[in-house]
Amino acid sequence: MTPQADLGVFAISLAAGLIGALAGVGGGILVIPALTIVFGVDIHLAIGASIVSVIATSSGAAAAYVRDRMTDMRVGMFLELATTTGAVCGALISAIVAPAFLYVLLGVVLLGSAAMHVSRMGEETPPPDPPSAMARRLRLESSYPDRKLGREVPYSARRIPLGFVLMWIAGVVSGLLGIGSGVLKVLAMDGAMRLPMKVSSATSNFMIGVTAAASAGIYLGRGDVDPQVAAPVALGVLAGALIGARLLHHISNRTVRLVFLPVLVAVGVETIGRGLGFGV
Amino acid sequence: MTPEKFRALVSAVLIIGVAVSAALIGAGFVAALAVGWQGSLAGAAAATAPTTDFSNLPGRLAVLEPAAITQLGLVTLLATPVARVAASVGGFVLERDRLYAAITLAVLLILLTSIFVLR
Repeated sequence: MTPQADLGVFAISLAAGLIGALAGVGGGILVIPALTIVFGVDIHLAIGASIVSVIATSSGAAAAYVRDRMTDMRVGMFLELATTTGAVCGALISAIVAPAFLYVLLGVVLLGSAAMHVSRMGEETPPPDPPSAMARRLRLESSYPDRKLGREVPYSARRIPLGFVLMWIAGVVSGLLGIGSGVLKVLAMDGAMRLPMKVSSATSNFMIGVTAAASAGIYLGRGDVDPQVAAPVALGVLAGALIGARLLHHISNRTVRLVFLPVLVAVGVETIGRGLGFGV
Repeated sequence: MTPEKFRALVSAVLIIGVAVSAALIGAGFVAALAVGWQGSLAGAAAATAPTTDFSNLPGRLAVLEPAAITQLGLVTLLATPVARVAASVGGFVLERDRLYAAITLAVLLILLTSIFVLR
């Protein structure tokens, strides 16, 4: 690539890292179309670069989120049990399942979730109900410091079995289709388990790196990771994620929802497009 | 181990992984501007393998091939989440949280299986 193209890829990746760190997603939704459509990069190399982008967003943002108590590590590790198992199942059945129908199904589910997400748009923090026996036993109750609200916000996970099943499905989907793993994780934690939006986003960020790392070796061995493309993507995304992780403290849960909504809709539309055969 | 120290440990693993990989990826990128991705800072003959080929990393690092330097950075980046899970196992053990030590160990084993077995 020319130095001008490198600079362009760096700039777009910086935006992807920034949005990804705030919304709890990997930024592939921005990186893949930009690389293929604007810079004419081969789709396989673009997907390889997006795997790098997911891990860079996750590690860059989570380094700050873990330290600042925005990531709930117990929620993250408990649910990673579901996502990693799901990802292995997804990879195993990928040879026997026709993905076209699944893409459309996933897209419809995501757009349906977007409608539910809109209905929660005005909610700053979930209602403070007492923790369930299961949440106490699994220690899925904690609090996070909200600098915007200027107080400690307590929370506890609700509907834990539902959240676990949704996370398993998120793992299957990412192993099978390689898309939407971040948005599904945020939806499971925010929508089903009713964790505060910032905690959902920061914990999703913590988790997506592990999901991507599980399949990264496959892309590397296949020759889909090209340093010429991945270098400006990785550096841009890391810079964006570090800025995003600082920015999260200065915005409200409502604003995080506002950032997440267009990402959710874009992934939904793109997924349906792929299923119908005209995606990037 | 206190929860604060545990978080500091996990955060440190992520910061070190990110910093080392960014330094290597950036160094390879700058070197490529000087001698090209497949060139050599040590004056050796240009590489013939495509830049997507991650094989023979030590040999290509020895002649300071820019693509190889960036590749080492990318491998470091891809290994960072695995190192983070491994550090978390240690953290939960030191916190004497048996349930989460077991959960995290299971995640680590599934992760390593999917990386080294399913390909």
